Amino acid sequence: MSGAPVAPRLRIALLSESPADEAALRVLVEFVLGEPFTAVPPSLRARGWPSVEQVLPSVIRHLHFNTAADGLVVVVDSDDSPVHQPEHEAPGYHHPYCRVCRLRAVFRRATKNLPPSHGRSRVLRAVGLCVPALEAWLLCGRDTSVTEAAWTEGQAAGRPPYTRRELKWRVYGTERPSLPHEVKRAVQEVSRHRGDVRRLENDFPQGFGVLARDLRGWREPAAAAPDR
Amino acid sequence: MITAVHFRNFKVLRSAAVRLEPFNLLIGPNGSGKTSLIQAMLRLRTLAALPVTHAHELEGQRPEGPRIEFAFGAPFREVRVILGCNTDELVCNQLVVDHPPGADGERQWTELRDWLRSIRAYLFDHYAMAVPAKRADGAELASNAGNLAAVLAARRAAEPAAMALLEDEFRRVMPEFSALVLRDAPDDRVELAARLAGGDEVVAADSLSQGTLYFLAILALAYAPRPPGVVCLEEADRGVHPRMLREVRDALYRLSYPRDAGLDRAPVQVVTTTHSPYLLDLFRDHPEEIVLADKQGQAATFKRLTDREDLRELMQEANLGDLWYSGILGGVPGQ
Repeated sequence: MSGAPVAPRLRIALLSESPADEAALRVLVEFVLGEPFTAVPPSLRARGWPSVEQVLPSVIRHLHFNTAADGLVVVVDSDDSPVHQPEHEAPGYHHPYCRVCRLRAVFRRATKNLPPSHGRSRVLRAVGLCVPALEAWLLCGRDTSVTEAAWTEGQAAGRPPYTRRELKWRVYGTERPSLPHEVKRAVQEVSRHRGDVRRLENDFPQGFGVLARDLRGWREPAAAAPDR
Repeated sequence: MITAVHFRNFKVLRSAAVRLEPFNLLIGPNGSGKTSLIQAMLRLRTLAALPVTHAHELEGQRPEGPRIEFAFGAPFREVRVILGCNTDELVCNQLVVDHPPGADGERQWTELRDWLRSIRAYLFDHYAMAVPAKRADGAELASNAGNLAAVLAARRAAEPAAMALLEDEFRRVMPEFSALVLRDAPDDRVELAARLAGGDEVVAADSLSQGTLYFLAILALAYAPRPPGVVCLEEADRGVHPRMLREVRDALYRLSYPRDAGLDRAPVQVVTTTHSPYLLDLFRDHPEEIVLADKQGQAATFKRLTDREDLRELMQEANLGDLWYSGILGGVPGQ
């Protein structure tokens, strides 16, 4: 019996701020894509913002020329920076302090003049923003007070509804989790979204939503088109 | 817990005060007083074991010359201790104790004195650690960790559960190894080695990397069933890959915040130093744990990183490590 041809597994590199972020991302990327992928070694790490932005051009160039990576997933914490908004998606719009806009701009500049390599014109892009930190995504569906909207409203009012440290406490039971505990809890929590990431997209429409939309676009024919 | 130390005319610390937390990471240029703080605490330990001068014996006078004053947290808040130093040689030989009068004050001092004697300072020496150690020396980790093999052997014999936790952590962080090997050596000594994963090959301590030995020594402290009351550790990052510094920080946090690690024991106060911006980056969520030593000319001062009112704004566009290296925070050479 012959079915439709099976697409080869995507080869994906992940650039994150910590091993726990990376562990959670591996799970979430697979959930969004709905298929397993092959992680491109070695694990890429940045020392938080702005080193992600600084190292990203080199990472893209390395992946383009030295690996067969199909795509690169970059996820950063928003911290106190402005949250990405739907109006930022307008053609030609660039918010100078929005980390999604800035990372996308880095992608555009870094891939603009690269010649084809490894049989593809460019490494695909997926950018996400944890608002304000990964722990918010980990609490999605468990703590209804933690949403992108709550954070954005609090930010606008000058009274953030929670701090990074409080989020850590809620997830790990301590502000100073050990790395194994952090990784274990991160994977536990994101695994609740197996098969359905709509809650994450609903509660974190810009930070997680943009990531999911980027990833879903990878299997579309237009994925080879230049980034906006 | 030692809550504050105040230096007067002690080396470069002409008038410098530092507030201490359960965990303290000291950064700053060479010669800015980081090690002097640790030496002062060690001197306090030494003199606490000897006869002391009680404040009332001085009839209101403070020791002349350089001095170092210590303040403590509960239940010793009412006790003050001053190290009096010789002006010419900067040797501190006088310990003046001011505690509440009466039996209760005496009791407070007696208890504090016992605790002060548990202050320990470490500067690991991988050459010393690689030499087989006398089995009889395994009671407590030496300041250079030269008896690490003996300490681990003694722990494996007397506290196998605690040793098992240490070995589990060692294997998790360094998965290239499957086991620690503690084998007999001549003259009733014990030699440290590690077995490589996936085979029987054993690597002797003198062939293990510096970073591996230093990390093992940190684990020996962090997983000690009865750790010291205060651990001072010079250059916590030494020999360790930047990505492994998180493990170093976590091990030290295990000492300072035992409840967070599920342990039912008193917190250990940790005072450690670093010159690594990468280690500093790991304290982004806890900048209050950073002490910056700053040297202006021939005088040095201490300040908490969180004393900077604009720190939060500065951290929005830069890592702590980069902020430090750039000079924005101070604590850099040549000022």
